[in-house]
Amino acid sequence: MLDPMMEQLLPGFLDECKEIAERVTEHLIELEKAHDQARFDDLARGLHTLKGSAATLGLSELSELAHRMEDVVLPLRGKNVALPGAMTDALLKTLDVWMAHLRATTAKSELPELKPSHKLLEGVRQAVLAVDAGKPAANNGKSPANSEKQKDKEKERSKPASEKKSAKKEREARAAAEPEPAPADPAAEEDALQGEEAGSWRVRTREVVSLLHEVERLREVRLRLEERRRELERALSQLARLGILAQTAEVRALLMGVQRALHADGEEAGDIVASMEDELKAICTLPVRTVLEPLRRSVRDLCKQSGKHARLSIVGGEVSLDRRVLETLRAPLVHLVRNAVDHGLELPDLREARGKHREGIIVVRVEQQGNMLFIEVSDDGNGLDLALIRQAARDLSIVPGAELDAMTPAQLHQLIFRNGFSTRRTVTAVSGRGVGMDVVRSQIQALQGHIEVHSTPGQGTRFTLTLPAELGSSPVLVVRCGEHELGIPMAAVETSLLARTGELRVARTRVQLSHREQLITTQDLGALLGLRQPEVPHDGQPLLVLQSQGRRIALAVDEVIGDRELVIRPLPPEVRDLSAYQGAATLARGELVLIVRPDWLSGFEKRDAALTGTRRALVVDDSLTARALHRTALESAGYSVHTASSGRQALEQLRHSSYDVMVSDIGMDEMDGYELTQQARRQTELEMMPIILVSARDSDADRERGASSGADGFLSKKDCASGRLIAEVRSCIARRQGTG
Amino acid sequence: MKLLPRLPDELPQEARELLERRAARLRDKPRTTEEESVLWAAEFPVGEDSYALPLETLRAAVPLKMVTPVPLSPPHVIGILRFQGQILTALSLSSLLGGRGWREDPAVLLVVDPGLGGRLLALDCERIPKPVPLPHALVEEARARSTGAVAEVTLPGLHQVNLLDLRRLMDRRASEKRDA
Repeated sequence: MLDPMMEQLLPGFLDECKEIAERVTEHLIELEKAHDQARFDDLARGLHTLKGSAATLGLSELSELAHRMEDVVLPLRGKNVALPGAMTDALLKTLDVWMAHLRATTAKSELPELKPSHKLLEGVRQAVLAVDAGKPAANNGKSPANSEKQKDKEKERSKPASEKKSAKKEREARAAAEPEPAPADPAAEEDALQGEEAGSWRVRTREVVSLLHEVERLREVRLRLEERRRELERALSQLARLGILAQTAEVRALLMGVQRALHADGEEAGDIVASMEDELKAICTLPVRTVLEPLRRSVRDLCKQSGKHARLSIVGGEVSLDRRVLETLRAPLVHLVRNAVDHGLELPDLREARGKHREGIIVVRVEQQGNMLFIEVSDDGNGLDLALIRQAARDLSIVPGAELDAMTPAQLHQLIFRNGFSTRRTVTAVSGRGVGMDVVRSQIQALQGHIEVHSTPGQGTRFTLTLPAELGSSPVLVVRCGEHELGIPMAAVETSLLARTGELRVARTRVQLSHREQLITTQDLGALLGLRQPEVPHDGQPLLVLQSQGRRIALAVDEVIGDRELVIRPLPPEVRDLSAYQGAATLARGELVLIVRPDWLSGFEKRDAALTGTRRALVVDDSLTARALHRTALESAGYSVHTASSGRQALEQLRHSSYDVMVSDIGMDEMDGYELTQQARRQTELEMMPIILVSARDSDADRERGASSGADGFLSKKDCASGRLIAEVRSCIARRQGTG
Repeated sequence: MKLLPRLPDELPQEARELLERRAARLRDKPRTTEEESVLWAAEFPVGEDSYALPLETLRAAVPLKMVTPVPLSPPHVIGILRFQGQILTALSLSSLLGGRGWREDPAVLLVVDPGLGGRLLALDCERIPKPVPLPHALVEEARARSTGAVAEVTLPGLHQVNLLDLRRLMDRRASEKRDA
């Protein structure tokens, strides 16, 4: 009987143990393949924590069992050997029982028996000790269960034939009555998905989604607070400019107090929004790895059964998804991965004979693009056997013979999704029942998704699952390019580094980065997005090495801001067709950031050619709409337009790029159009560039000031409205060409 | 103290007649003829011209701030913004209408429902619009004459208001995009 106070701690302890058990499982599987001291140490620490924490809570039986697991493992410390298979088996099974016991204790349900686990561990320990003492191991490192089987076999050989038959029948009956070995700890997976901890609530999804929308609105309120604070700041600076400081001292002090309070309130509101969003995300989503990691155990167990060697590689396991989607995805993923081992991979000798590594690779790759989720399950095995599929379809009369003969490989691949289809003649624990792929497809369809299969004989098979994913977040690297902040999915980012002149190979048409003994084409993000002319990265400029669809590029950006866990949402229909973007996400301060598609970035060559041969214009205006309108006019007249939102930014662009004309607003903060023109004219290479100033006012004084600062033309907004911009641009260029 | 109405006979004949004429006018049925029913619209300037949107399509007027520009987007796209949890596209109305400028830099975005299945859009605008009643008869007449997204409503005094049909405007943009 547990102390009531300790009982209250059980749910938290169960959570902690789940994490430790996951880690221990991963270490056991890896240590079975090869020794790794750091892993071994962490495994030992994990077992020790399980023992110590169980003892603290008064769970003496569990503490004792964890102690026995330590007894088995610790003798191998310092020895540079992989864990024996039988030991790994015994420890994994014991860990399953340990967790089942803890769950039952928490739920106050019937406790599983621990004695068989003690016996199993003791058998393994003795075997290890025997090997250590130099004696031949009594059972060659096999588990007691295996040695029992060996004894049975020896007895069997000494029996008469009639007895052998009945014993065989008995064995078959016993085997049928025994449950199939669990590939992993299903209850643990279930728990991870359903969160059935004590004290949880059942909440309707709609309510949580509506809460998410409310948080979004709260974020907008927080933005408005910040805006009000800025307005107040402007009002205060206006008062200062009016030269009535003394008369307004009291009011200004009051307003400054309000301003500070507004700022503090805004910050607090921001913190609340961020924390609410995190909590809601935790409620609604889980990382995909919670479903994928247990598959390592499945793969290992299946390999043990089938004599195959396989490694499961998981890419994108950190992508978080809606729990409901994950729950439904678990069974199809288990099925696809088990199929890859059972049907896809060849036996090690055959692989070797075919020039492959003895160990097959199964890759599960998860990627979220906008509100779509892509999951690929691929193997480097045999590929789908078209002859076998055709034969099975004929035998099962799934498709008429004549039709079958006319089918293309892609059509034949689709037959594996038919109900009752199987190429296996015999039923095994893994396959052959003809249920599976049709269930996989129907489960994916139930999620409004679809599944595709691609297979190359002798090279492998790839299943691609495409699903809508409304919730869920992805790790994104936020970078700055000019005044734009943009996101790049972390899955595509291999590394980031600073440009060094010595590592760049600059040719006439391309720049390459020498990186890890490879030459990688370098691209400027700003140029790819049409924001500026392509530039050779300067010394110290951040470069990102990206990999997408088998291609690598080095991407030059102006600043790496940092990685964020962001919810990527689809763009509105008016801009959804832009292939450059996956979607948009909201940053902590509330502004939207565009997420650039990595495969778009790596497919740059075609786009480079498109811009050559057109006249280039730089539009400088702090008004977004003014920039849009000037751009409309200039692009319709055949110009390629870059924009800048300030004089400082325009000068930066002019430093690296050349333009046929610059159209600049006069009334800008920090640096007005006159000053920009004067600064541009001071640079020799910009002396001849036509500059047109645009002003809201239309006075002779303004025109004269424009001309004296070095501008070629002057237009009022009214002139622009009546369509004079293009005429003025052409006339200024012609005048400059005439004089130049 | 209690105030009592003055008796009619205390009034001079002339005043009595005047009051009776007024009462008769008030007793007359109000003229609810078609020409007096109106469409409330939000009127705003775009460059030199006056434009209007049916008031029912207007959801909000927000300051033109926190708009994220979308590089490589068509020129009439100003950017994207968040509004009540949705991501909206902000479009340059002047550019959509084929205009080339305005008198003042737009400072306001109108959030409108163009009738595209509840999807909202934001349009730039020089000033916060003012509500104006447009006589239905004139609106219908203008709509009958118009074949595009703009119906030119000429009000008494020859003041012209260009009434926008946002759905048509967006459809036209979509078909131009398809043709391109």
